[in-house]
Order: sequence, then structure tokens, then C-alpha cells
Amino acid sequence: MAANAIDQTRRMLSLVTYLRERPGAHVADVARAFGITEDELISDLDVLPMCGTSFRGGDLLDIDTDGERIWWHNADASGESTAEPLRLAADEATALLVAARAVATLPGLRESDRDALLRATAKLEAAAGEAAGASSRLSVTFEAEGGVFADVDRAISERRRLWLRYYSPARDELTERTVDPIRLFAVGHTYMEGWCHLSEARRTFRLDRVAEIRLLDERSEPPAIEPRDLSVGLVQPAAEDPEVVVEVGPAGRWVAEYYPHDSAEELSDGGLRITLRSPDPASLRRLALRLGRDGRIVSPEGLADSARQAAREALAGYGETA
Amino acid sequence: MAIAKAERLMNLALCLLGTRRPLSKRELRGSIEAYMEAGNDESFNRMFERDKDDLRELGLVIETVENLDGETGYLARRDSNRLPPVSLDAEEAAALGLAAKVWQQARLAGAASGALQKLRAGGMPEADNPFEGQHSAIEPRIPVHEAAFEPLMLACRDRRPVVFDYRKSTAARPETRQVEPWALECWRGHWYLAGHDRDRGAERVFRLSRITGRVRSRAGKYTADVPDVVTVRETVAAWAGESAERSALIRLRAGAGYPLRAKATAVREGSDGWDELEIPYGHGLDAWLVEFGPDVVVVEPADLRADVVDRLRAVAAG
Repeated sequence: MAANAIDQTRRMLSLVTYLRERPGAHVADVARAFGITEDELISDLDVLPMCGTSFRGGDLLDIDTDGERIWWHNADASGESTAEPLRLAADEATALLVAARAVATLPGLRESDRDALLRATAKLEAAAGEAAGASSRLSVTFEAEGGVFADVDRAISERRRLWLRYYSPARDELTERTVDPIRLFAVGHTYMEGWCHLSEARRTFRLDRVAEIRLLDERSEPPAIEPRDLSVGLVQPAAEDPEVVVEVGPAGRWVAEYYPHDSAEELSDGGLRITLRSPDPASLRRLALRLGRDGRIVSPEGLADSARQAAREALAGYGETA
Repeated sequence: MAIAKAERLMNLALCLLGTRRPLSKRELRGSIEAYMEAGNDESFNRMFERDKDDLRELGLVIETVENLDGETGYLARRDSNRLPPVSLDAEEAAALGLAAKVWQQARLAGAASGALQKLRAGGMPEADNPFEGQHSAIEPRIPVHEAAFEPLMLACRDRRPVVFDYRKSTAARPETRQVEPWALECWRGHWYLAGHDRDRGAERVFRLSRITGRVRSRAGKYTADVPDVVTVRETVAAWAGESAERSALIRLRAGAGYPLRAKATAVREGSDGWDELEIPYGHGLDAWLVEFGPDVVVVEPADLRADVVDRLRAVAAG
């Protein structure tokens, strides 16, 4: 059974309208058209024969399947109740319209795709009528660097290798690398996932950190790897990564919002003691410097020392001593 | 075995859509097996009310009509429930197919798929695979990690006042806020709420990740007018220091600080291993410059220079 009765009901209402027009439809085709698995479809088809306009009158939907094709023997008996699709609900109109508007504003998107999105949005707004009203109360902006986006997009479709000058904030340096692009995705910012020949590993690149990009004439041949799951956070520290403990005051609580962490313990002054893991603790020197009087690195000691040392050197640049 | 809820909802929907005259609760109870098995009147009534609400969430317009005997009847008229004809070509269908995959939030992901299925039942052509050939190879995803999102989305939709505990970025303790929510906006992967703050009597923007505890609904209407256009992003961009009105002059070690160079309005390369940059000076610039440690020296203005030195002293002493 579907986990969510609301979603299943919604789907079954559309399904009966769809099946009515298509006697003997193939299970595989219908599942694809509805964006569900064949098992989900079969579970719907198990429920539908229990449904009808009157249980006592016996006019239940006589829908059955042999696992390959679907037959509805009394489609006419269900009368007009299943003849047409139902109007869009407010949440349905909102979900599609907000997403379509957001994608349409992505800088670098191909114009043909942008046009199709805008045309579809206008038609959907007209069809949704009043239900479209609430969609203006939700909006999403994706950030992307249009030029870089278009180059990565082209490299993927033409299967070409890329050359990048890429900025690493952890080390404050630009590195040159060749990358076989795998995919382009947007989660707030826009990223490219690719096979990096410099690190000989899969890497994720944020487009606004690409300082320079060129399409090469070499063929892109990334190894077959499982694409990463975009529903979990982009930064996934490994269990073996060294532990870093940071103590922040109330004004440093933002650290817990920006850094994935193992624990954040409340302190009596309204601050937090945050334990996180990083494959490269030295990269957190930036954080220690940024925090100033709002927090400090408790451990490892070497990291705390390097932040103090950097601050002393910086002060010397102002003719000051600590 | 109890009858599955989806089966019960489906039967209620078919009865209400299939009738030309209003059906009384009694008639519906006599037609739908799950209601016959519902036990006493009270549990049936509760179930029936909840089911009607659920079907309304799915977009069904259910009318309540009183008949001559004073008995309430229900029906879902075809003409107020049908989707008007929508003619989408294959390209437009592909575009909506891409849009429907964007939400990483269960309620809206379900709603987006449901919308697509209604359009499909209405004859929308099947899209070709959007990742092949002539379409952009982009996979957009809208992240929703904040527990406050769904209750606030519904409150914005239904224009319901809410109360929640909110901790400002620099506050030690959360404070209770009474808000008339207007709109939600996602920027750089984070969700923000704009609304009228009743205690402050003014518009405020809240970051959802700073809401602690549950969002509770309040009865009653809005007391302040809802503006036609709500601009969340401008407020948040100002917090992020992106509405700079002044300019700063800094020295930057050659080869270092690429993001500062990318933001600079002017760069003069020096011969002593240091370059001079003019950069926009907005909120938070001092904290950002300190991140570059000994690779940055602020030349002017004096207040920025003093702020940076002050921060460095705190780290050096830490």
C-alpha cells in the first residue's frame, strides 16, 4: 500500500480518467506515464475494484489486470464521475508553478527550455484559475553563473572534457584541473559533479567558484559511478575524519546553521559547544579567524595555534602587536 | 481488517462526483463500506469530516446543501470540479516534467506529481527524456530542511496568523513572535518568511532555521494589509552585505583572495608582491576580510580598518 493515502487517492482519481480512454493499456506504459513503479500501479489496481458509486448497488469499478495489460469492463457504468480530470488543487498549482518559475530564471538555461517553461507556466496559470493565486506566496531563486552553466551544459551534451581554474576556499588558492563532467545540479547554488583528473576522484564544483572554464576537444570519459543522492546534504563528513570542537557565544550560533556537525551542546551563556568533523581541519582556520570574539577553536590545539599565529601576522601588517 | 484510507477516500470522491443531487450523510454511510464499519455515530462523524477536508485538500469542491427536510446534503458538481482543457505540446510537457521533480519536500513533491497526473489524464503528451539531447542537462532541486516550512506554507496559503519562538542570530534566548505570514522565499538554499510582526507593528523577515519549536496557528484575521509585492530577497541580501553603498581600499597579497578579486571594482597590481583593490563595503565585510588573515591589509576607511584590527586582536588573544 502506498505510504500516503492522500497521494494515492489523488493518483487513482486521475488513473480512472486515464484508463477510461485506453482499454487494454499496458501496465508498463501507464506506470511510466504516471511516474510511478509498476508495483505502485498494481497496488492501485488492487484498490480500485473496491471503489464505486454505491457499495450496495454493486456498481463497483470492474477493473482488472493480468499483470501486463489493464481492462476496465464497465467504464461506461461509472457515468460522468470519471470522464474528466479534476481541477488542480491550490498545493498542486503552487508546487508546479513555483518550481517552473524558479527553473525558468536559472541563468544559462537554454532559451528553448526557458521558452517552454514560460509557455507551460502561462497555460497552467490559466487552467488553474483561482487555485494559482496562492502560488505567489512561495518563491525560489537559484543562483548560477550563466556563462559557466552554459559551458558545462554544452560539455555534457557533447561529451567533452573541461579545463577549469577553480577556487578552493579551504586553501584560498586557485588550481587548474581537467574534469569529465557528469551532471549539473542546483540546490540553492548550482554545482557540477564530475570526475576530476587532478584528484583522480569524483568532485563537486560550485559554479561561482569557477574562475575560468574551457571546453577541450578531448572526449569526456567519466568512470561509471553512482550519482550522489541530492536529498542529503552536500557535505558528508566521514566517520574517520578528525574531530574539531568549536565554542561559540550567542553571536556565533550561526556556525551550527552552516556547518554539518555531530553535536551542538547549549552553553550557559547562550552559546554552543559544537563538535564537527573535517577531512582537512586546517581548512577551518578561516572559521576561527572569522569568529573573532564570538568563538574559539577548542581542539585540535594545532588549529587553534595556527589561527592565533595568523592573527598575529596580520596585526603586524597594521604595525600592531597582539 | 480495517479498510484502507485511500479506498475510503476514493469511494467518497466517486459518490460525490457521481451524484446529481446532494447526498445526505446517512446515504453516504449506507453506500460506503468503510463508513458502515465505522462503529458509532461519533466515530463516523469524525471520520467523515476528516475525509471531506482531505478531499478538499486534493482540490475537490464539495458543496453543502440543505434539503427541504433540513437535512444537509453534499455533492461535488462536475462543472466546478473539472480541469479546463490544457493543450500542452511535448516541449512544454517536458518542461513541466522537469519542474515536477524539483521539490525535496514530501507534501509539495506529492502535489507536483499529482498535478502532472491530472494533466496526463487530460491528455498531456508524454515527454521525452529531458536529459537527452536538446534540453539543458540541469537537475534543479529545492531543498527544504526546516521543520517550520510546512506549517508556514499552509499559513501563508490560508492567511492564518501564527506564533513561534524565534532566536535572532545574535540572541542567547529565543523570543515568542506573533506574525501574520505573507510569503516564503528560498535563497541560496535557505528559507525565509516575510510577514507582519504584531508586537513590533512592522514588517519583518525571519530565517526558518532560527525558528525553535512548533509553529502554532492563531484564530482570527490579519490586522495589517498584505502588500501586493513582498520582497524577501532584498532584505536578506542586505543582511549578507550585498547592498553596499560605500567602498573600501585594501592591499591583497598577489595570488591570494580570488573571491575578493572577483568582487573588486578596481585592481592595481603592485610590484612589491601586493595588489591594491577597491571593493564594495557592506555589512559583514570586516568578518570576511579577517578570514584571509595576513594576506589582507585594510588601507581605508579608518572604521573598517579599526574593526578588522579589533577582530584580529580577539583571535590573537583567544
